[in-house]
Amino acid sequence: MSDRVDSGVLAIEDLSYRYPNANHDALGGVTLSIDAGEFVVLAGRSGSGKSTLLRAACGLVPHFHGGEVSGGVEVGGLDARERGPAELAGVVGFVSQEPETQIASTTARAEIGLPLELRGETAARRARAVEEVALALAIPDLLERTTDTLSGGELQRVALAAALVARPAVVLLDEPTSQLDPVAGDELVWLLRRINEQWGTAVILCEHRLERCLSAADRAVAMRDGTIAFDGAPGRFLEWALAADPALATPGARLFDLAGLRPVPVGVRRAREGLRRGRPDTDLARIPASEGWLAPMVQPARGGAKRSAGIRPPAHALTVGDLWVEVGGRDVLRGIELVVDPGERVALMGRNGAGKSTLLRAAAGIVVPVRGRVDASRGCALLSQSPDDFLVHERVAEELPGEAGARALDAVGLAWASDADPRDLSGGERQRLALAIVMAGRGADEGPPGLVCLDEPTRGMDRGRKQELSERFGELAAAGTAIVVATHDVEFAAGFAERAVLLGDGELIADGPIAEVLSGGWYFATEVARILDVDGAITPEQGAALLRSERPVTEGT
Amino acid sequence: MRSALAYTPRRGRLQAASVPAAAVYLGSLVLVAFAFSNPLVLGGAGAAVAAAGCAAGARAAVAVSVRWGIWLGATIVVVNALVTDRGDTVLVRGYDVPVLGPLDVTLESLASGAVLAERILVVTMAFAVWSACVDPDHVLRLVRPLARRSALTATLVSRLVPVAAGDLARLREAAALRGPGAEAAGRAALARRLVACSLDRAMDVAATLELRGYALGGGAPVERRRRSRHDWRFVAGGVAIGVCGAVGLLAGAGGFDPYPEVALDVDAATLALAAALPLTAIFPFADV
Repeated sequence: MSDRVDSGVLAIEDLSYRYPNANHDALGGVTLSIDAGEFVVLAGRSGSGKSTLLRAACGLVPHFHGGEVSGGVEVGGLDARERGPAELAGVVGFVSQEPETQIASTTARAEIGLPLELRGETAARRARAVEEVALALAIPDLLERTTDTLSGGELQRVALAAALVARPAVVLLDEPTSQLDPVAGDELVWLLRRINEQWGTAVILCEHRLERCLSAADRAVAMRDGTIAFDGAPGRFLEWALAADPALATPGARLFDLAGLRPVPVGVRRAREGLRRGRPDTDLARIPASEGWLAPMVQPARGGAKRSAGIRPPAHALTVGDLWVEVGGRDVLRGIELVVDPGERVALMGRNGAGKSTLLRAAAGIVVPVRGRVDASRGCALLSQSPDDFLVHERVAEELPGEAGARALDAVGLAWASDADPRDLSGGERQRLALAIVMAGRGADEGPPGLVCLDEPTRGMDRGRKQELSERFGELAAAGTAIVVATHDVEFAAGFAERAVLLGDGELIADGPIAEVLSGGWYFATEVARILDVDGAITPEQGAALLRSERPVTEGT
Repeated sequence: MRSALAYTPRRGRLQAASVPAAAVYLGSLVLVAFAFSNPLVLGGAGAAVAAAGCAAGARAAVAVSVRWGIWLGATIVVVNALVTDRGDTVLVRGYDVPVLGPLDVTLESLASGAVLAERILVVTMAFAVWSACVDPDHVLRLVRPLARRSALTATLVSRLVPVAAGDLARLREAAALRGPGAEAAGRAALARRLVACSLDRAMDVAATLELRGYALGGGAPVERRRRSRHDWRFVAGGVAIGVCGAVGLLAGAGGFDPYPEVALDVDAATLALAAALPLTAIFPFADV
């Protein structure tokens, strides 16, 4: 092992691993050492080996998954290859991407106390530890709830509490914010930082949305093809990413890069400091983006609040009027008014539990309103959060038989896969196949449906796959299909949508051009919007154009 | 959407009872269902389970299990009638079935299949009441000493129903969202997917249990869960049901033989046994 083992909580030495029946290594000669109290962000594209590395660090690889392994892993002084995950549980906590699969108990209190119970701790010690970790994570009100009534975000916090309750030396998190809204995601990252600082717990956080967490990190490690491609400070990581793998660079870094500014900043605060240093005379907040030179980049939405309020030209893709939906005795949607036009690309946003999924279900007709009307007469296809749930047959052609099926496959670029087993397709291809399944035969004249809704389609996706998805939406919209996507991913929304609808506690609280809704706020705002704080500049390209501008900024403009 | 079969914490007597007490109580009814083939006795056992489920607040679970049991039972009756040509009372002679050739359908084979179906129904209902009323956490505690090294076994025993119930709700919604141009997701395809999906998810939950320290040996013993004051009622109820069954068997009650002609005991002892089962089963819920 390396000479840093003694001071480190995790030491990985030349680790190679291959999953059973796989034809290539998931990890290839990884060497990595993490010191006590470090906060490390683990970056990399999908399939780069991040999750496998975390699973090796907690003993699931190879003890639970099997496969071929070589090299060494030492966690908290314990040899992870000799000891299984149960024995490592005292020194390492693990939180995975899917909160539903990491809950094993009936109530939140039982779940959080389970690690201590299995260790034989007394009821009194368990109760105190559960109470303290619940207070630390601000979830005491969840303790008596049954776990099957918790939302994804709540489950994620309960899972984190269960991972932390035994006060491990290191906690590993595999995309823990993927199901959280921007508010909860930011809170979770800063909570981890607080635990890291106050308890001295080392944190290894695997994440695609680096702009959320990089500023909290002491160090960034990037993986590529099962190997460590970069290991260093977050600022150096961004420089490396811009040169070697731009998809890993944060929007703030791309903003600076496009504007020709250096050094690239880690986080909003340093970006603002950098801007002040680089252009001390610039007061960006005084530039109204909706006027003048930036206006062409800030496209007004074709729908929006005014359209929703009343006037209804014919052939809307979706018309929702005074919609009330009750679930479990609670009004989940309250008087929603919304109109979406053909070809419009709409991001539906809001906190966990705001009613986004319910609104999409109502549009698809699988939720019956208690009051109001929903009209998607040109056809509505809804792709729910788990595309794999749609794949129930053995061959792609069996899922989509006949000419209508072939047309649907062709529309998503999967005509070549008709003889394939759906489960052999990649994650992105399975999602496209599921999209074809929900769309098949819904449109008039054998075309696509008038409205396609997707519920959190970017969960676990890297930036490259998001870009592909965004392009797919563009093609559908160009064919006249309206796209409504419920998403927590503000950066993705800024890239694909022209209009944003914000829900809060079942009510529509904002509806307007995407650049307008995603700027000027703090949580529901892109990183570029938070850096520049200029109405309408939400993407690196828009921001860079602003920064490159030689137009003098004057008082009162 | 919450499944009717998922455990719901309630302030009921069966929910408060310890796992062994609940197992004795519901297990005794399952034992009676396997010990007797008389439709009247099976009917009594079914009524007993239904009464227990309703008294425990698991009416929805009973209703769901009855629907599943009837569907499964109907399949069994049809299959049994097609594959068995025993019995003297031929209802359909020489019915030509593809692959199997000409078959006779007899009254006796239908009656035999119906008894199997009735037994399946009773067992399904008992399982549903167990699933809805017995806390999986307590089952996990009970299973752990027996399967300390296998989190997957423990998961399958204690968590499979809640996991499968959640998956089924999602799969049904996905099936409802399929476009008209896509092949419908039939029951068989959904069932196949559900099994695969549930096993995958059970593996994930098993991994979570491992990470929580499930396989840890040694350690201080976990303090015993305090027994419920209702435990004796359910143990007594279960024992009484067992005694009823044993006495019935010794007395020769509940006779049934489908072949060569249906012979069914409808004597006083059989009727008394059939009536005693639900009355005994409701005893633990009575305020005495």
